[in-house]
Amino acid sequence: MLSALPSRGLENLQRPSLGSLGPASRLGIPHPAMTAHSFALPVIIFTTFWGLIGIAGPWFVPKGPNRGVIITMLVATAVCCYLFWLIAILAQLNPLFGPQLKNETIWYVRFLWE
Amino acid sequence: MGSMFRSEEVALVQLFLPTAAAYTCVSRLGELGLVEFRDLNASVSAFQRRFVVDVRRCEELEKTFTFLQEEVRRAGLVLPPPEGRLPAPPPRDLLRIQEETERLAQELRDVRGNQQALRVQLHQLQLHAAVLGQGHGPQLAAAHTYAASERTPLLQAPGGPHQDLRVNFVAGAVEPHKAPALERLLWRACRGFLIASFRELEQPLEHPVTGEPATWMTFLISYWGEQIGQKIRKITDCFHCHVFPFLEQEEACHAALQQLQQQSQELREVLGETERFLSQVLGRVQQLLPPAQAQVHKMKAVYLALNQCSVSTTHKCLIAEVWCATQDLPALQEALRDSSTEEGVSAVAHRIPSREMPPTLIRTNRFTASFQGIVDAYGVGRYQEVNPAPYTIITFPFLFAVMFGDVGHGLLMFLFALAMVLAENRPAVKTAQNEIWQTFFGGRYLLLLMGLFSVYTGFIYNECFSRASSIFPSGWSVAAMANQSGWSDAFLAQHTMLTLDPNVTGVFLGPYPFGIDPIWSLAANHLSFLNSFKMKMSVILGVVHMAFGVVLGVFNHMHFGQRHRLLLETLPELTFLLGLFGYLVFLVIYKWLRVSATNAASAPSILIHFINMFLFSHSPTNRPLYPRQEVVQAMLVVLALAMVPVLLLGTPLHLLCRHRRRLRRPTGRKEDKAGLLGLPDASVNGWGSDEEKAGGLEDEQEAELVPSEVFMHQAIHTIEFCLGCVSNTASYLRLWALSLAHAQLSEVLWAMVMRIGLGLGREVGVAAVVLVPIFAAFAVMTVAILLVMEGLSAFLHALRLHWVEFQNKFYSGTGYKLSPFTFAAADD
Repeated sequence: MLSALPSRGLENLQRPSLGSLGPASRLGIPHPAMTAHSFALPVIIFTTFWGLIGIAGPWFVPKGPNRGVIITMLVATAVCCYLFWLIAILAQLNPLFGPQLKNETIWYVRFLWE
Repeated sequence: MGSMFRSEEVALVQLFLPTAAAYTCVSRLGELGLVEFRDLNASVSAFQRRFVVDVRRCEELEKTFTFLQEEVRRAGLVLPPPEGRLPAPPPRDLLRIQEETERLAQELRDVRGNQQALRVQLHQLQLHAAVLGQGHGPQLAAAHTYAASERTPLLQAPGGPHQDLRVNFVAGAVEPHKAPALERLLWRACRGFLIASFRELEQPLEHPVTGEPATWMTFLISYWGEQIGQKIRKITDCFHCHVFPFLEQEEACHAALQQLQQQSQELREVLGETERFLSQVLGRVQQLLPPAQAQVHKMKAVYLALNQCSVSTTHKCLIAEVWCATQDLPALQEALRDSSTEEGVSAVAHRIPSREMPPTLIRTNRFTASFQGIVDAYGVGRYQEVNPAPYTIITFPFLFAVMFGDVGHGLLMFLFALAMVLAENRPAVKTAQNEIWQTFFGGRYLLLLMGLFSVYTGFIYNECFSRASSIFPSGWSVAAMANQSGWSDAFLAQHTMLTLDPNVTGVFLGPYPFGIDPIWSLAANHLSFLNSFKMKMSVILGVVHMAFGVVLGVFNHMHFGQRHRLLLETLPELTFLLGLFGYLVFLVIYKWLRVSATNAASAPSILIHFINMFLFSHSPTNRPLYPRQEVVQAMLVVLALAMVPVLLLGTPLHLLCRHRRRLRRPTGRKEDKAGLLGLPDASVNGWGSDEEKAGGLEDEQEAELVPSEVFMHQAIHTIEFCLGCVSNTASYLRLWALSLAHAQLSEVLWAMVMRIGLGLGREVGVAAVVLVPIFAAFAVMTVAILLVMEGLSAFLHALRLHWVEFQNKFYSGTGYKLSPFTFAAADD
C-alpha cells in the first residue's frame, strides 16, 4: 500500500526523525527485521503441510459412497497447490535482476522498512 | 475408487411380461425410473403397433382435457397442481375417467351455449329499450310539419299511387362504425323522401359474444311511400341493423318500454342462474382435471413403452429388452415380482449378453453434478471409459484461479457462491424462473471452489484488488543497496529510476516464503519478472496436466483388455511428451536452481537452447547449463523421433498379426463362440462382465479388421498427438496471458479510480464525501468488468484447456447416457 505518495520535490524533505516515521514506530510495532529468509524452512513446512493433506488425509476419510471422490479431491488439491507454491518460490530463489524503483519509493521504503 | 471413476456396469436385461401383468409391471418400472427400454419394434410404424388403440384413446382424452383447461382459463380460474404421486390407473379405470370427462365437457358446452343465447337475447332487449327510450322527439314534430309543408311542391303528380302520404317510421340500432355509411347510403338512395336522425346511446352495451363494450347508434327514419319503405328496409337489412317496431303514441311507447324492462329483468335472473351453474361445473372440473391429467399422461407413457416390446404369441407374453444398471437388478426383479403376483402370474427378468455399447450411467449428487455436467457438455463418455470428472472437480477451479488470481475478487466470488449454497433449500430460490439466475445457481458449487482457489492463488500472486501485502518481510533490502552504493539524497534527487542489484551483498536476503515478494509491486520492471515467472509456470502446469492425461489412458487400456497399447502407445507417447517438454521443464527448474546473479550477464537462454536442440545447431554465445548438455539433448531428440514410427506402426501391426494368427486357427475359435453365445440361463448373474466385454471385442475384431482403416486411424492419432504436444503446450500459455490481463485491468482500475479518490483533498470532510461516489464507481466496475467479464473469460479458457488439451489425451466422449423410463416429468 505504498504507491499513493503525492509527488513533491525531494529537496524539500528532510530525513525524518524516529518519532515522525509513522504509526508503526509510535505503536511500538518493531521494525520488520532484515533477517535473511531461509529456503529450507518454508520448503519443509509446506511440504509437510501439503503432504499431510495429500498423503495422510486419505486415510482419515470416512467410508461411504463418496470416499473415492473425496480422496481424489484431497490428493489433487495437495498436488496443485503445492506445485503452484513451489514454482513461485523456486522462481525467486536466484533472481537474475532486481527491482527497478522510483527514487521516491527508494527514499520511503528505505526508512520505513528499516 | 469412487463410483465416478468410470461408468457403472449396465446390463441388457430381457423381461418376460405376461400379458395380464404387463401394464402394471411397466407402470411400476416407470415409478422406479431404473431402466431404459430398447425399441424392439423399430421397423414397425406407429400405426401398426399393438397398443395403438389405447394410445389413441389417451390422446383423445388429452384433447378433451385441453378443451376443459381452456375453459377454466377463460373463466379466470387456476388449476391447482395435483397432490401426491398418483400411479397410472389400470386400463379399466380409463373408461370411467373418459365417461366423467366427456360428461363434464358436454355439460360445459351446453351451459356455455345457453349462456350465449341468453346474452344475445338480453342484448336485443336492451337495444330495443334503448331505441324506444331514445328521444327523437323534436325530430318527429319537424318531420310532421316538414312533410306536410313540402308535400305540395314535391309531389306534382296528381293522385295515383302517391295518395297515401302517411309518414312511416323505421327505428333501430346500428353499430357505430357503420352509421356514417348507412346515413350516406340512405341519403343517396332515398333523398328527399326521408328524414333520418342518428343518436348515440349514452351507455355502452356489452357485446354478447366477445364481451367488448360498444356504443350503438340508434336511428329513427321517417319516410313516406311504400317503395321508399321497402328500400329502407333492404338497406337496413344489408347493414345488419336491428330494427324494431316504432310506436308513435307516448302511452304505447311507455307500455312497450315497461314490458321490455320486465322481460330483461327475468332474463337477467335466468342468466344469473346459468352463470352460477357454470361456476359449479368449473369447480368440478378444477377438482377432477389435475389428477386425471397426470394419470392419463402416465398411462400414455406406459402404453408407448409397451409398444416398444415385442409380442410372443407362443408364450402369451410381451418381451422387453431394457438397459439396467447391474446394481439395480435386484430392485428390478423385486418390482416385477410384486406387480405380477397381484395378477397371479410371474414376470421374469434375466440378463443377456449384448454386442452394442451400453449406455453410460454415472450417479452424481448435487455437488458433483455440475462438474459432470461440464464434462458431459463436451461429450458423454463411452461405456466404462475413464471419467475425467472427479479430477475436474479440482483442476478446473485451479486452472481458473491461475488465470483469475486475486484475493479480493476471489473472496467476493466465494461469498456470492456461499450465499447461494446456504440458501439453496429455500423454495423461493428453487422456483425462480430467470434463466441467468438459474445458470449461476446451477453452478454454485463450481463458483464456490473457483472462488476458494482464487483466494489461494491471489495470495501466491500477492494481489488483493491489485494491491500487494507484506505478510512476511520482503526479501529485498533497499537500505543495504542504498548504503553500499552511496545513494545520498542528492543522488536520489538526480536519478529517477534505480535498480537493486542482487549481486551486492545484503540486498537480496532470500526468497519470499509464500508467494511473490511485495517489492515487485513497487517496481517499474515488475512485468519483466512476472512475465518470466508466469510463462514458465504455465508450461510446467501444462506439461504436468497433459502427462496426467496420458497416464489416465493407461486405465482405459487395462480395463478394455488392450494391454498391447500400453507398450505400443502409452509408452511412446509419454517418452515423446516427457522427453521433449518434460526436458524443457527440467531446464527451467535447473536454471532456477543453479544459475544465480553472479554471472547474470551471461546467463544461458533456455529458449535458444530448446530451439537449437531441435535444429541440432549450436550458439556460441549461449553457454550450456550443465556439462555435456548437447549430447543429452541430441539423445533425447533422437529418442523422441524414434518413438514416432513406434506410435505410427506399432498397434496396427500388432493387430494385423493377431488377426492373421486367429484366422489360421478357425476351429478352436468357433467352439468358443458357441459357448459364449449359448442360451442365456435364468440367473441374473450368469455373466461376468469381463467375459462379455472380451467376447464382444473379439467378435468385433474378427469381423471387422480392415487394415487400411486401422493404419489410417493410427496415423491420424499419431499426427494429432505429436503436433498436438507442441501446440497444446503453447496453448497453456493462455494461463499467463489471462492472469496478466486480469492483473493489469485490476491495477488500471485502482490507479484511475480509487487512487485518485484517496489522494483528493487535505481536509477530512472533502475526502470522505468524495470517496462515496468514487468507491461506488470502483465497486460497480470491479463487479462488472473484473468479476463478471474476466470471470466468464477465465471460465471459458479453463474449460477449453480441459476439453481440448487434457481430454484429447485419453477421452473419446462418444457414448450416450442412460435415460431411464420415468414419469418424473408428469409429477412436476
